[in-house]
Amino acid sequence: MAANVQKTSSLGKVLVTGGCGFLGHHIVKLIVERHPATQVSVLDLRTELNRNSNTNVSYHNCDITSVGAVQQIFSKIQPDVVIHTAGANLIAKNEVHYKVNVDGTKNLLAAAEKTGVKVFVYTSSASVIYNPKTELINADESWPLVMGKDQPEYYTHTKAIAEKAVLEANRGETGMLTCAIRPAGIFGEGDVQTLPKMVSAYQKGQNKFQVGSNNNLFDFSYVGNIAHGHLLAVQALLHTQKMMPTIPLDTEKVDGEAFFITNGQPVYFWDFARAVYHEAGDTLPLSSVWKMSQGLMYLIGAILEWLFWILGKTPNLTRQQVKYSCMTRYYSIKKAEKRLGYQPIVNLEEGVRRGVKYILQEEQKGKDKKDQ
Amino acid sequence: MIKATELLYYLVHPQELRQIIQWKTWHNPVHERDESKESATLKRCFFFLDMTSRSFSAVIKELHPELLVPVCLFYLVLRGLDTVEDDMTIPLEKKEPILRNFQDILEQDGWTFTENGPNEKDRQLLIEFNVVIEEFKKIKPAYQDIIKDITKRMGNGMADYCKNAEHNINGVNTIKDYELYCHYVAGLVGEGCTRLFVEGNLANPALLKRPELMESMGQLLQQVNIIRDVKEDWDDGRAFWPREIWSKHVDNFEDLFKPEYKQQALNCSSEMIVTALERADDCLYYLAGLKEQSVFNFCAIPQSMAIATLNTCFQNHNLFKKVVKITKGEACELMTESTQNLRMVCDIFRRYSRKIHHKNNPHDPSFLRISVACGKIEQFIESIFPSQPQPRTTEEKKLTAAEEARIKESAEEAKREMMFLMLAVGLTLFLITIVMFIVAWAAGARFDIAWVQLKSQLGSFFGSSSSTADVTKHVEL
Repeated sequence: MAANVQKTSSLGKVLVTGGCGFLGHHIVKLIVERHPATQVSVLDLRTELNRNSNTNVSYHNCDITSVGAVQQIFSKIQPDVVIHTAGANLIAKNEVHYKVNVDGTKNLLAAAEKTGVKVFVYTSSASVIYNPKTELINADESWPLVMGKDQPEYYTHTKAIAEKAVLEANRGETGMLTCAIRPAGIFGEGDVQTLPKMVSAYQKGQNKFQVGSNNNLFDFSYVGNIAHGHLLAVQALLHTQKMMPTIPLDTEKVDGEAFFITNGQPVYFWDFARAVYHEAGDTLPLSSVWKMSQGLMYLIGAILEWLFWILGKTPNLTRQQVKYSCMTRYYSIKKAEKRLGYQPIVNLEEGVRRGVKYILQEEQKGKDKKDQ
Repeated sequence: MIKATELLYYLVHPQELRQIIQWKTWHNPVHERDESKESATLKRCFFFLDMTSRSFSAVIKELHPELLVPVCLFYLVLRGLDTVEDDMTIPLEKKEPILRNFQDILEQDGWTFTENGPNEKDRQLLIEFNVVIEEFKKIKPAYQDIIKDITKRMGNGMADYCKNAEHNINGVNTIKDYELYCHYVAGLVGEGCTRLFVEGNLANPALLKRPELMESMGQLLQQVNIIRDVKEDWDDGRAFWPREIWSKHVDNFEDLFKPEYKQQALNCSSEMIVTALERADDCLYYLAGLKEQSVFNFCAIPQSMAIATLNTCFQNHNLFKKVVKITKGEACELMTESTQNLRMVCDIFRRYSRKIHHKNNPHDPSFLRISVACGKIEQFIESIFPSQPQPRTTEEKKLTAAEEARIKESAEEAKREMMFLMLAVGLTLFLITIVMFIVAWAAGARFDIAWVQLKSQLGSFFGSSSSTADVTKHVEL
């Protein structure tokens, strides 16, 4: 139980893969703030971006798909804890997805076991239980993974395989403990997916439109909460590790388990978008918003896709986007609350404020540079 | 009795009239009080119940016989206490000891109080308070103890509130003060009722282990009253909205009622409403712990009314001009639905929270908080009544190669058949079109002119440069 876990000044030697990425650098930041005596080693393909200035953080360029490089760095650092957030870019090719997400994760697991790592936390994705045919209404961890033919998103397929590999490595020969964190809809400072798309939709004037009934709840999670969830998992596993060989009760077990981590505040999809628009400067009254039915927009999306396909481009409006914005997709975080003692530390309002402010500041910086 | 305006209203809202008729015709009380066995003093108590409460007397009178009298007396005792507290004509020195010792008064045979101001509407209850005391002595000691304990705590809370001069000058300061006030006047009622239900073995004892649930039951009702009555209270010289909330929107409380501060007033009311709305899921949780139908109705009806009232107050500027109320038809519909089961009440909560969500203004400072509160209600309802079956594991539906091939083959065949069908339809339509064109042409239609016109019209519609060229051509024709 996380409630028993005391605030420790050090988590030991922690290795964060993808520590220069969006989520990774927030995790590094939180470790430095909360457990300042921790030795953090960041592994990333490139380590110029999102660097933490703290002297306890070191940066190592490393391609996790290379067995030799990974082995070498693990024997050098001898980490106690591995937080594996590195993943392939969403728009990468299928082979890259497989190589990074599956082979990369397996390389890390092998190296970790060889060097006596105690705790291994993997960043999975909430989409691993998503199947395009059904909505997710308050879904929990008892839902099965959706992979292979049932999973049209190859990226998600590889994340699911990797998660399975990580959880199967739990309590292996070396006694390493593992668990998986499944975040849903991460946003925040430095995010490249969620908020920038919404802000640019507003800037293009798309705030005048809205598709569907807007009764569909959706999980958006502030990145700081996801980082918090990872650290709670690390603490819980370190605690279990100390108690070895005593095995915790099934209802309290963290090792070998997956956890959904969200803001615990599902909101109506368009409400979140409208809150982002507002934060970015929108003043359009709700009565002036065109509300269009899902069916009509789906048809328009199909026609646009077809026309743009002839031109060899992708339109602004696609059927997938229409579907996505009309779909109910939210999770129950009861398991994380109970077993990790997880509670979001930043609420949705504050998260949106921080995330949009960051985007607008970056834009301003870009403009200032141009003006010079 | 019926006003002409009301008659007119129901003529244009037959749906609501239907709800009223349905409630009056079909509602059967779960239990009915047996007047023949009642003493004269008890009859007088029920008379006072009718006199002092319109909304609660009906549900109280349908309660299980075990709790009918205790709850009725509980209500009258608290009403008596409230009548002393409310009366601004009684000096504090006189008021304070009565409030603080009201639980002892319940044991003083023949105690009455005649010093209420002439305008206090429930003063008659205190003039004849001896009948309440007489009946109170007859109920089970366990019930007496519960009522006395709550009376003591509420009386002291009220006395503290009255004594605090700041409240009298500035009204309520912080949200914490506001919730504390609601705790004394309503949260404690929730506790008292719950203890009575459990003592009477009509509710799950586990409810007592989750005190925040019964607290929320009282808080929601009281907060909704405070929100709805803002104008009436202000006209009486009282303000219960906490400064911590209204000062974010206006500088002076009275500005809320000025037309030039309309938007600020609406934003302020939104914040008040969301503070209440965030309690709604607790209330549903509480209702899930009630076993007996009449107790369920007793608790569920006011809650449904409260959430509907929140919806009526939300984004409604009339709140600051007059008393806003749900219509009688809506009230009857809610009563019909709230006297069935938890599922129906959950449906009411979801329906009204969605109504609130659809009126939510993106530029209101509480926008996202309201959206989250509505989402929380929906998620809670899903947690007790899941609308989605849990999917089976993918391993279970692994198919053999032969089955897979068969499915694939039949899918292909269906596709082929579809193609032929589409082709046949397309061909038929094409032939019909050709025939029609030929007939039209034979009858003298000029397709050449139609074509040029069509082109020019399309051209001007898209505003392209080619349209001018088309127009010149048209002129040459």
